[in-house]
Amino acid sequence: MKTDNWTLGNRSFSSRLLVGTGKFSDNATMLRAVEASGAELATVALRRFNRERPDEDLAGPLSRLPGLVLMPNTSGARDADDAVRLAMLARELCGSPFIKLEIHPNPHHLMPDPIETYEAARVLVKEGFHVMPYMGADPALAKRLEDVGCVSVMPLGAAIGSGQGLRTRELLKLIVRDSGVPVIVDAGIRAPSEAAAALEMGCAAVLVNSAIAAADDPVVMAESFAKAVVAGRAAWQAGLMPVSDSASPTSPLTAFLPA
Amino acid sequence: MNPAPSYWAESAPWRAFADRASDRDVTAALAHSESGPKELAALLSPAAGRRLEDLARKALALTRRHFGRTLSLYVPLYLSNHCSGGCAYCGFAADRQQPRMRLDSARMEAEMEALRAMGFDDILLLTGENAPEADFAYLRDSVALAARRCHRVAIETFAMTREQYADIFAAGCAGVTLYQETYDPDTYRHMHRWGAKTDFAGRLDAPARALAAEARSFGLGALLGLADPVGEMLSLFLHLTALRKMFWKAEYSVSFPRLRRQAGEFRAPHPVDDRRLAQLIFAMRICLPTVPLVLSTRESAAFRDGIAGIGITRMSVASRTTVGGYRRCEPDTDGQFSVCDTRDPVAFCDALRRQGLQPVFKNWDAALR
Repeated sequence: MKTDNWTLGNRSFSSRLLVGTGKFSDNATMLRAVEASGAELATVALRRFNRERPDEDLAGPLSRLPGLVLMPNTSGARDADDAVRLAMLARELCGSPFIKLEIHPNPHHLMPDPIETYEAARVLVKEGFHVMPYMGADPALAKRLEDVGCVSVMPLGAAIGSGQGLRTRELLKLIVRDSGVPVIVDAGIRAPSEAAAALEMGCAAVLVNSAIAAADDPVVMAESFAKAVVAGRAAWQAGLMPVSDSASPTSPLTAFLPA
Repeated sequence: MNPAPSYWAESAPWRAFADRASDRDVTAALAHSESGPKELAALLSPAAGRRLEDLARKALALTRRHFGRTLSLYVPLYLSNHCSGGCAYCGFAADRQQPRMRLDSARMEAEMEALRAMGFDDILLLTGENAPEADFAYLRDSVALAARRCHRVAIETFAMTREQYADIFAAGCAGVTLYQETYDPDTYRHMHRWGAKTDFAGRLDAPARALAAEARSFGLGALLGLADPVGEMLSLFLHLTALRKMFWKAEYSVSFPRLRRQAGEFRAPHPVDDRRLAQLIFAMRICLPTVPLVLSTRESAAFRDGIAGIGITRMSVASRTTVGGYRRCEPDTDGQFSVCDTRDPVAFCDALRRQGLQPVFKNWDAALR
């Protein structure tokens, strides 16, 4: 059977849905949702690692889920120095080479800081991390981050937790067109249809957290996202018909003319 | 009196709007996506007081969106009740007759031990106004000691200079809480009878001094009961939004301390009842959707359980407002205020979980210092 795996660094993955682990009402629900999503990569904030209180530690129980790779994130970092320190500690604690680089110093809107993100990415790549930077949907920045050795880029669809969908659609298309590394849409996605749309436009994967955690039934929502991502990817491979501004007749109007 | 800082904006025009806001103004404010002082005034109005359920629904949706189904927890640790201040409403004021003490480092270690055993990792250190027995150097050393024991240490003490704030952050302090107490200058003058705290403008500018020294987080608040609560909330909102423009990397939080009975028999001139307090919290949540809103154990278990996750996203728990209260190895002193919700962390967390909220003891890491 033909496989459709994709790679990050030296690891191959089949699921194109990545999940976040914050905002859930309890760990048991979070774990069931992660399992239902079929995700092979889940992100956890280092600040929610808590070895002293297993009842609220997010990293411990996730690391015991079979087939799941942890991708710690640097949420809480205000600048490159903070992010590098958090990344080092996270690798020490959970051993994963993946780091989701998040530097969003303004808590009011949580928009990523491109300058600090770029600086931290340079340092962390040299330190041997598989760096996955959360970034604004800026095509030039995406190439710059690829050039310094990031294994993916993670442009936002809309603000974190906003549920506004793919507001950056036109910029995402430019990033996908030019990118030599997987493009993962991170943040803004509310509905499975939006995740499918991201895959349909050629994104390699999506990362979803709030839309699952805030659903009335997070487990069923996680399953729905898993199906949507599969459908979106298949549609991309099948080749979407072009958008046209006029009707196209199924029988040619010029058939009566000699060839 | 010193002039107010240049970024300070008067809330009076918005206060007048709150008095006359109509039901339509409330509907418009609820539908608005970027709420400013006009929307806040409408949501604080008597007309909005009749639509509390609508406000609560909007507040819940925004809280869920930005904070999920979680509630972060912290615990206060009173280091000292020595106080040079003369706040008319406070149980620690210098003219109250009560035993005074401060924790030395051994007793502080014991208190920290007791708190760590309860699972706390986010600690708020408190003192009275700057006094020779509990001065800046004592506070800085206490912060350093606490920072060796837990991930997040914050302070709620006296207003400081920018240089002192820089020193205290270097010692490991991650956040400052400092209430203006009241934003009404006349009430402020009347309530603060002597000492450094009589300087209204100086206190108003203290958050900017801390933030200029790169405070990571700053908690604002008005002591509810001292002055008209609508004016207080509007001024606090303008204060926070002005600070946020200047210091955009900091996290801000807002507390809702409501005056309760304490030593000295102070009676609040503008008492705030439960419905009113809920309205203030909902209105602030709607207008400050990303800002953590904080409620202490001054409030009842029933009120705290009801409002957890609707607007409030952060609470103290199991608080003792006396010095040396956790090990109970000290002679009894009067607390700064009386605790109403006396549940231990286990009972409190069980109540949160029953309503589908996850208590979070650690949401910070020492690596961020």
